[in-house]
Amino acid sequence: MGQNMLEVRHLCASFFTQKGEVKAVNDVSFEVPRGRIVGIVGESGCGKSMTVRSVMRLLKYPGKIVSGEVMLDGRDLMRLSGREMAAVRGAEVSMIFQDPMTSLNPVMKAGKQVSEAVRIHQHVSSEEAKRRTLEIFEAVGIPEPARRYDSYPHQLSGGLRQRVMIAMAMICRPKLLIADEPTTALDVTVEAQILRIMKNLCGTGTSVLIISHNLGVIAQICDYVYVMYAGRIVEQADTFTLFEHPMHPYTCGLLNAVASLRLGREKLDTIPGVVPNLLHLPEGCSFSLRCEKCSGICASKMPDLMKTGEGHMVRCHLSGKGGES
Amino acid sequence: MKYNILQRLLQAAAVLLGVALLIFVMLRIVPGNPIATMMGEHADAATIERMTAELGLDQPIPAQFCRYIADAFRGDFGTSYSLGKPVSQLMKAAFGNTLKLAVLAALFAWILGIGCGIIAAVRKNGVFDHLFMGVSLLGVSMPVFMVAMILQYVFAYHLHWLPISGTDSIKGFILPAVALGWNSAGSVSRLVRSTLLDILQEAYIDTARAKGRRQWGVLGIHALRNALLPVVTMMALQISSLLSGAVITETIFSINGIGRLAVQAISGRDIPLLQGTALFSTAVVILGNFLADCLYSVLDPRIRKEA
Repeated sequence: MGQNMLEVRHLCASFFTQKGEVKAVNDVSFEVPRGRIVGIVGESGCGKSMTVRSVMRLLKYPGKIVSGEVMLDGRDLMRLSGREMAAVRGAEVSMIFQDPMTSLNPVMKAGKQVSEAVRIHQHVSSEEAKRRTLEIFEAVGIPEPARRYDSYPHQLSGGLRQRVMIAMAMICRPKLLIADEPTTALDVTVEAQILRIMKNLCGTGTSVLIISHNLGVIAQICDYVYVMYAGRIVEQADTFTLFEHPMHPYTCGLLNAVASLRLGREKLDTIPGVVPNLLHLPEGCSFSLRCEKCSGICASKMPDLMKTGEGHMVRCHLSGKGGES
Repeated sequence: MKYNILQRLLQAAAVLLGVALLIFVMLRIVPGNPIATMMGEHADAATIERMTAELGLDQPIPAQFCRYIADAFRGDFGTSYSLGKPVSQLMKAAFGNTLKLAVLAALFAWILGIGCGIIAAVRKNGVFDHLFMGVSLLGVSMPVFMVAMILQYVFAYHLHWLPISGTDSIKGFILPAVALGWNSAGSVSRLVRSTLLDILQEAYIDTARAKGRRQWGVLGIHALRNALLPVVTMMALQISSLLSGAVITETIFSINGIGRLAVQAISGRDIPLLQGTALFSTAVVILGNFLADCLYSVLDPRIRKEA
C-alpha cells in the first residue's frame, strides 16, 4: 500500500468543440495522502472542476479525458470498465457538488436518496439501509433525523441539503471524498459548520479533495494546496507555506485580492486582465499576459514546475528570484 | 389534499354547468327552426306549431334550461329528433366504440411515443434519434385522414391483414387506433425527448451517477419520473380529446362512435342529441384535466399542499 490514497499523473482532459480542442486540463499531476485534506484553488474556468470530475470519470459532453492515470489506492480508475467504475463511485470515491439546491432529486424523499447509495453497493435490507441513514444523519448533524428522512428536498434549507449530500457521500465510508465547491452556495455560518463536519469525517479515515475559489475555505481545512491556472498547476505547497511564502505571481495576486478586515485598504487589489481563452493560449507562460513581472523568456517558453523548497513547486521562470513580493 | 380535491370537484361542476348553459343558449339563438327541418318540406304551419309545443320549445329559454338540467340529473337527456331514441341510450352505445378506439389509440401512442422518446434522448444524435424524430415529425404533421387512408391502402387493400372498416371484431379497431394515435405518438415522443434531455443536464443526475447508479438506473429511478411531469399533462389532454370522439377517424372507418353521432346531430339540427354530445365532450375534458391535476400532485411533491 502506497502512502497516497489518490495519485493523478499527467491527466489531460479536453472539450472537443466545433472550434477545436479546448485543453481544459493540461498535464495535471497531484496526490492526496491518506487521511489528509488537499485543496485545489483557482478562479472560474481554470479547470479545477474538470480535474475532479475526471477522477470520477463524470465529464459532461463534449468533455473527454485524453490521457493520464488516476490511481485510487493503487488501482488505475482509467482502466476500469464502465460497470466497474460505477461500482467504485459512491462506494470508494464519492462526490458532493456545489449547489445543494439542485443536487438532490426533487421528487424523492431525502432519506431515500441517501439509503439508495447503500443499497446500490451493499446487499442490505431496506430497514438496515434506513437505520444506517438515520445514523449518518445524526453524524452530520441533521436535527430530527427521523422526520428529515421523510422530507422532500424542497422542504429543507440549503445547509440541511448539503448535510444530506455529505451523508449520501459518506454512508458507504468511501476512501476518498471529492467536494466541488461544497460551501459556495451557502452563507458563512453554515459554511463553517459544513467545513467542520468535513474535517471531522476526515478523521474517520476518509481522504478529502476539495476544490474552491475561496482561499478562506482552503486555509481553514486543507493540509496541502494546489493552485491551478488555465488548465495547469502553477504552484503547490503545504497550506502554511503557500499562504506565508507564495512564489508564483498568480498566487500572490490571489492572496492580495482577499478582502481583509485588518488592513485599512479602501479598494481590493485585483489581477489585471481576464483568464485567457483556452483556444488561444499565449505561446509562453499562460499567465504572462497578466503578469506584472513578465520578462522576455515568459512570452516565449512555458516554464516547468520547479522545486523551490520541501514539497513546494512553482511553475514560473522567476521563481526563487523575486517571485515573492 | 382532500380539501384540494373537493375544491377542484366543485370547480369542475361549476364549469360543466356554465358550458351546459352556453350550449343550450347558443343552440336556441342560431337561426333556423329545428322542427321545420325535422318535419321536412311538406309539413304545414299548424303541425309545426303543435310539435313545437309538444317538445316544449315554445316556452321561455330559462324555463327550458331548468327543465333540461332537472331531467339531466335523472339521466334523461331528452329524445333524439332524428333517430327517435333516448339520447342517453344512443350515447351509451356510441361511447362503447369510442372508448375502445380511444384506449387502443392512447396505448399505441404512449407506448410508442414514450419508448421512442427515451431512446432518442439517451442516444442523442444517434441513428435512432434521427430516425425517430424524422418519423415523429411526419406523425405530428400528417393529417389523420391521410394516415388513415395510407393504412387502409397498405394493410387492408394490399396485404389483407386487417379489415378496411367496421367494428365487428377488435381487429377492426387496430387500423383506426393507429391512425388516430399516430399524431399523439409523434407529439409525445418529441416532448419526452426534449424534457428528458433537459433533465439529464440537471445536477441531481450527476449526483445519482456519483453514487454509483448506472445509466439505466439513473434514467429509470431519477430522470424518468421528473421528465414525465409535463408529459402527464399532455397525455391527459390527449385522452380527453380522444374520448370525446374522433370525428374524422370514426367517419373514415365507419365506426359508430360519439364523433359520428355529433356530426349526425349537427347535420340533422337534432338539438337534444347535439346538447348531449357536446355536454359529454365537455365533461370528458374536465375530468381529464382533473385527473391530470391529481396525478401531478402524486408525482411531484412540490405541488402537494402542506398538510
